[in-house]
Amino acid sequence: MFLYKLYSFLKRDVLNAASYKFAFVSSFVGIFLTSATFYFIAKLLSGSQSEALSPYGGDYFSFVIVGVAFSGLLGILQEGLPGIIRSAQMTGILESLLVTQTNIPTILVGSSLYTLAFSSVRTFFHLLLAVAVFGMQLGDINWLGSLLVFLLTALCFLSIGILSASFIMVYKVGNPFGWLFGSVSGLLGGVFFPIAVLPPWIKWLSYALPITYSLEGMRQSLLTSATLAEIMPNIAALAGFGILLFPISLVIFRWAVVKAKRDGSLTHY
Amino acid sequence: MDKNKAVITEGLVKHYPVIKGYRELLLHPVSKKQTTALAGVDLEVNKGECFCLLGPNGAGKTTLIKVFSTLVLPNEGKAFVNGLDVEKDSKKIRGSIGFAISEERSFYWRLTGRQNLEFYAALNNIPRSQRKTKVDEVLALTQLEEAVNLRYNTYSTGMRQMLAFARALLIDSQIIFVDEPTRSLDPQAALRVRRFLKEELVSKQGRTVFWATHNLDEAQQYGDRIAIIAKGKIRVIGTVDRLTDGGEISLQEVYAAAMKKGSV
Repeated sequence: MFLYKLYSFLKRDVLNAASYKFAFVSSFVGIFLTSATFYFIAKLLSGSQSEALSPYGGDYFSFVIVGVAFSGLLGILQEGLPGIIRSAQMTGILESLLVTQTNIPTILVGSSLYTLAFSSVRTFFHLLLAVAVFGMQLGDINWLGSLLVFLLTALCFLSIGILSASFIMVYKVGNPFGWLFGSVSGLLGGVFFPIAVLPPWIKWLSYALPITYSLEGMRQSLLTSATLAEIMPNIAALAGFGILLFPISLVIFRWAVVKAKRDGSLTHY
Repeated sequence: MDKNKAVITEGLVKHYPVIKGYRELLLHPVSKKQTTALAGVDLEVNKGECFCLLGPNGAGKTTLIKVFSTLVLPNEGKAFVNGLDVEKDSKKIRGSIGFAISEERSFYWRLTGRQNLEFYAALNNIPRSQRKTKVDEVLALTQLEEAVNLRYNTYSTGMRQMLAFARALLIDSQIIFVDEPTRSLDPQAALRVRRFLKEELVSKQGRTVFWATHNLDEAQQYGDRIAIIAKGKIRVIGTVDRLTDGGEISLQEVYAAAMKKGSV
């Protein structure tokens, strides 16, 4: 029944999204424009190779495309779930879900599935486009390593999304978790540049962010032909974040729902 | 616990916190302001009856239904639905009631009526093998078969209300809660809804309908019993015959007296 419910959530969201054809297509056009922009930036920088890029093969375009493609996953998951909850509060959908016989974790995971699936397709498309059109260089891909990094990344980002959704449930607007992990991750997580170039006094903050391990692991898997053993420290760090954050986020969300029921504010916004 | 009772409440109290303005927040940062929605509700609803909860806007009708549906938690008192405690047995209660949420936006507008119902059927633990049969059954009951493959956003307000009933009937619940179901309907659609609730669900199927309304005529004509609620308290309760002394006074007078004095 659990899988059937998840399938129902996914089907609902696919049907809904497919009905907005223009938005669906334009999101892929946006990927092309982003790739082209970084392609030309990389061309501009091609004569001045940084030492910090050498662990990743030395090519800035390949480096940044992995960062941008996977940070897109972070943004969508972090903003996706709180957005879904806020919209559900405003429309009354939330109450219609909470009077069913489906528990809160299933509603949360189910509601995130489409976002996860769609952003995964976007990420894959981003990489495919970069390789096929812009000549991105890949190493011997470590498929198992990249899959593990991807799944654990999704777990971490989903947890952050649930924390953000808990905040929305109680305070209605504002998303400090999304801001913290989203904006700060862009600067300190190694999306656009290697964290090696950061000053030492701030670099330590990078290691408190899951995206740092996620991008590091993914670049190792895709660009540098790393073995599973070499990727393992990043996988272990992501697993640690996931094991810690996921149950905590579920407990906090459950508390947020009980508080909203006590305050009678489930549908307030 | 009386097994013939669909709903029982004992001294049910619900306060909502009031959000403070900046000035108040600065002057009294710790104090809590609250408004009372239910001020000690004692109520019993019999199984198989059409029970109308009559009251003006803000009287506490919606809050009471949301407490029964486990969407709002009470501050004091007890509430039982089908013998189950709303606080302790919330999951079991959700499996034994139908709440026809009338909010139009509580459906997915770009999905068809069938797609909407199939989604909620899955969430209500209806096995995949029985899903189509069940959805067809509730669609036939609500006479929506012809609109089943149309997108919800093309439905009229009356059809949307009927789809809300169809959703509530997906589980074989013996009690259905409806909150002002005819609020924005034209007279013909309203009549169809009233007849459906009373004739189909109560008279034919023997279900309990807990019907919140502010329409006196509706309550008088369709309610087996009526409770008048004002300022979070049940003021009077009984059959129309009893409330009006066998027709000696009108329900309108009873209602006015309940609003004016707080009790009659």
